[in-house]
Amino acid sequence: MHEVSIAESLLDVAVDNCRQSGHTRINSIQVLIGKASGVMPEALLFAFDSMKEDTIARDATLDIVEVPLRGHCNVCGKDFEVEDRYVLACPNCGGLQYTVSSGRELTIAEMEVE
Amino acid sequence: MKLKVTRNILTANEKIAEGNQKIFADAGVFVLNLMSSPGAGKTTLLEETIKRIKDRVKVGVIEGDIAGEDDAIRIDALNVPVVQINTGGACHLDANMISSVLDDLPITALDLLVIENVGNLVCPAEFKLGEQMKVAVLSITEGHDKPLKYPVMFQESGALVISKIDLKPFLDVDVEKIRRDAVSLNPSIRIFEVSCKTGEGLDAWVAWLLTTIS
Repeated sequence: MHEVSIAESLLDVAVDNCRQSGHTRINSIQVLIGKASGVMPEALLFAFDSMKEDTIARDATLDIVEVPLRGHCNVCGKDFEVEDRYVLACPNCGGLQYTVSSGRELTIAEMEVE
Repeated sequence: MKLKVTRNILTANEKIAEGNQKIFADAGVFVLNLMSSPGAGKTTLLEETIKRIKDRVKVGVIEGDIAGEDDAIRIDALNVPVVQINTGGACHLDANMISSVLDDLPITALDLLVIENVGNLVCPAEFKLGEQMKVAVLSITEGHDKPLKYPVMFQESGALVISKIDLKPFLDVDVEKIRRDAVSLNPSIRIFEVSCKTGEGLDAWVAWLLTTIS
């Protein structure tokens, strides 16, 4: 729903890191997007492509790796992984008190720069 | 060449939020991020709350909306300092928007700053603003299924205000289910049932708020 702000932050962080490493051009960016992050990959790609034009990432491709939603249930004590974009209850016992261990990532993993 | 980065994309927002938090702590002001879907009654709750506490604590307000100044005009009528942010389409406030209006408020003179977020049950919960506490408002006309459909907002909030409770006789809504599901998602959440029309429940909410910020 807020992919434009995400794309803007992504470009800021990527451009900063590229400049700090002494490079002037970004060829590709790999990002980890958790399935429960609320970010739709297609919308993020579209926003990224529209916003990269006036930056040193103008020719960059965006490689999105989706991270599955995993958690630990504090009721039955078991770990779980679900296919969905959200979890309402532990798939094993139906408990609602759980800790999400992955699936909410919005992280830049690596970039190809020159 | 390949560059390993491993940086959170929202790092920029979180850094600014931490900066805001420091400014608020130095100024000794308690900051509350008020969130709900559009039309749940955030502004009305805020008006009724301000009327009851403004003689005891100094309140300031930041109003976040996609467009328009209607909410700021309503708060201004109560003679408390208010700033309107128009996000111009963005579905949530972010830390930078807050940072950019701080000079327009007498921060050091305030005890409580309420940030009324853009009406939306999804995105505002994801963006830290530098607040000390989030409070969610859910009106009973929205239905009892909302906590489980939009869990993040209820997991992140210190309190839940269930509003428009005077409409209960006219609806099939199961208020107990709202309470049960909210507590299941967040065992430490405080829940208040209020009606800004009749005044029911407002005293308990206001008493808790005054204790929390002091």
